Amino acid sequence: MADLRFTGIGKRFGGVRALDGVDGHVDEGEILGLVGPNGSGKSTLINVLSGHYAADDGSITYGEANLTDLPPHRIIETGLARTYQIPRPFSTMTALENVSVPFMFGANPLSPQTARESAMEWLAFTGLDSLANEPIDSLNLHQLKYLELARALAARPKLLFLDEVLSGLNPTEITASIEMVRRIHSSGITIVIVEHLVRVVTELASRIMVLDRGKVIADGDPTLVMQDDAVVTAYLGKRSKRAEG
Amino acid sequence: MTTTNRNTSLITLAFALVLWFMPSVRETLDFPVFFLLFGYSLFFWIAQASSWNTFTGFSGYFSFGQGAFFGAGVYSVAVLAVKRDWPLLFTFLVGGLVAAVIGLIIGVVVFRLRKLRGEIFALMTLAVAFVMASVARVSPAIDGGQGVPVNTVELPEFLGDFPTMIFRLGLIVATFAVITAQSVQRSRLGWGLFSIRDDEDVAETLGVPTFRFKITALLLTAFIAGISGAIHSLQIGYVTIEDVFSIRVPLFVILMSILGGTKHWMGPVVGAVVVVTLNDRLNRAGFQEISDLITGGLLILMIVAVKEGLYLRMRARPLRTAVGFTAGLVIGFALGALDESLITLVAYGLGIAVLAVMLPLSWFARSEPAVTDDVEEVASHG
Ligand SMILES: Nc1ncnc2c1ncn2[C@@H]1O[C@H](COP(=O)(O)OP(=O)(O)OP(=O)(O)O)[C@@H](O)[C@H]1O
Ligand SMILES: [Mg+2]
Repeated sequence: MADLRFTGIGKRFGGVRALDGVDGHVDEGEILGLVGPNGSGKSTLINVLSGHYAADDGSITYGEANLTDLPPHRIIETGLARTYQIPRPFSTMTALENVSVPFMFGANPLSPQTARESAMEWLAFTGLDSLANEPIDSLNLHQLKYLELARALAARPKLLFLDEVLSGLNPTEITASIEMVRRIHSSGITIVIVEHLVRVVTELASRIMVLDRGKVIADGDPTLVMQDDAVVTAYLGKRSKRAEG
Repeated sequence: MTTTNRNTSLITLAFALVLWFMPSVRETLDFPVFFLLFGYSLFFWIAQASSWNTFTGFSGYFSFGQGAFFGAGVYSVAVLAVKRDWPLLFTFLVGGLVAAVIGLIIGVVVFRLRKLRGEIFALMTLAVAFVMASVARVSPAIDGGQGVPVNTVELPEFLGDFPTMIFRLGLIVATFAVITAQSVQRSRLGWGLFSIRDDEDVAETLGVPTFRFKITALLLTAFIAGISGAIHSLQIGYVTIEDVFSIRVPLFVILMSILGGTKHWMGPVVGAVVVVTLNDRLNRAGFQEISDLITGGLLILMIVAVKEGLYLRMRARPLRTAVGFTAGLVIGFALGALDESLITLVAYGLGIAVLAVMLPLSWFARSEPAVTDDVEEVASHG
């Protein structure tokens, strides 16, 4: 079983403890919802698990592989890929070229020519095929988020982290995107999804993990977790405070 | 990003093959020896600029190391061929290898420090050339401050007279440099470097072995710059530290590449041809003292006016380029440039073509038909 397991993950930025002893797991085949208030450490956890940042403490294993000290470009070979909450496309490349890069690397690298052909499929899947040869600065934020998704899929992941790919979409687009995530999942890819919209998380996730100030405060069945007192306080506490201030 | 395929390299090779026979047909076609030396100058700068661009242009890591790599090549010949009588051709290869080792050391030291990449790299490469110059100055085995007469070295006879030899050696290295740049640009290495240039952290998480790729590209750059420097020692004749480790080589390769455009292998080639031709003509016209100054100033203007580089601009505006070049030839011809040299005529063509693509698009769109008419008119008179 290729499950992702992590224990005691710590990550500090100067004085900020973004992650403070985070334990958890992602089971093969599930859709895990990762939620928590702004600044609770969700993106940081993805950054650490995908190798973008090295953790200060803790250990990570994926199936047989120990990811803790693996260089990031080796981590993707084990089958982990992620999207960036704030899109980070390769700015001098076209949309197609952006998606073709991951095909050239990872566990089964393709030649640049073949990579382009394969990239076209994921562009079509995310509805960006008409923009294939456009420069990046002609894409709007929604298109850039989909490009993030297409590029992550081009890494041919077994486990995919989606960091707020659906945020900022209108309700119709969200419904379509939920469908898209379901299709990705049913193609055999395990998914960890970060989303502020409760509707999205409860519709998709088979389990929810809640972070607050760098700590896990709840983990389990979606409906139960969302009614948990600590979760309600963390969420509503912050929300109502911000609404006042 | 525009790609290039295998045919591009075959065409390059065929072109080089034709040039190879230039010295053989010189007497039949009756062109001056100077053409061969000018050709060598083009080859030298094409090799240097292309090699610089293969690392810096593609990866985005700004390197001032060209002087160090070039200097390593020059002094490999000065020390080994002149002072120790090693076979000349072999010392060319050694020059490339010594430069590559220096590149490797810089790369391994700087790229290991993950947090301190960009600026530190630029500074390191600059510092290395200074250190090398100092070491050469205090060490009699290398230079000792006296300079080394490379012109005393015996030249292999089978390579022909000096102009023929230097032309062909330069051609080989330039061809190698250009084909290397083309191969990198279309390969996984190239795409890895482009993604490093755009966002290195993302590249790394997407599977690009960034450390290995940067080292590989830097090695290629250093090796080519070193061999090219080794051959250039023959052209210099009497090598001195001040000359070899001056800012000229690193500065000019940067200017040429940026002028021509760093995103395509053709950019540095275009940049080198334009700069060498114009600089050479300024020298001939009696501006030796200030030709670098004028060229430098012009370059800065051109770079500001054409951000993406001349090559991509010219390719996007082929009509303007062709019209500008033709107009330049016609104007040059009318002014009697051909009496001086064919190169002067070409310099007029290049100069006007560059001006034409630099002009703002809207300005040109309005006057485009007029310009075409003018050209035809002048042409029919001329
Ligand atoms: N690169 C960084 N440098 C400094 N501080 C950072 C960095 N990345 C995150 N942080 C801090 O770490 C904490 C956790 O941030 P993180 O982005 O992981 O939160 P999040 O749960 O993803 O929030 P959001 O819902 O707003 O995306 C925050 O206090 C944030 O300011
Ligand atoms: Mg976040």
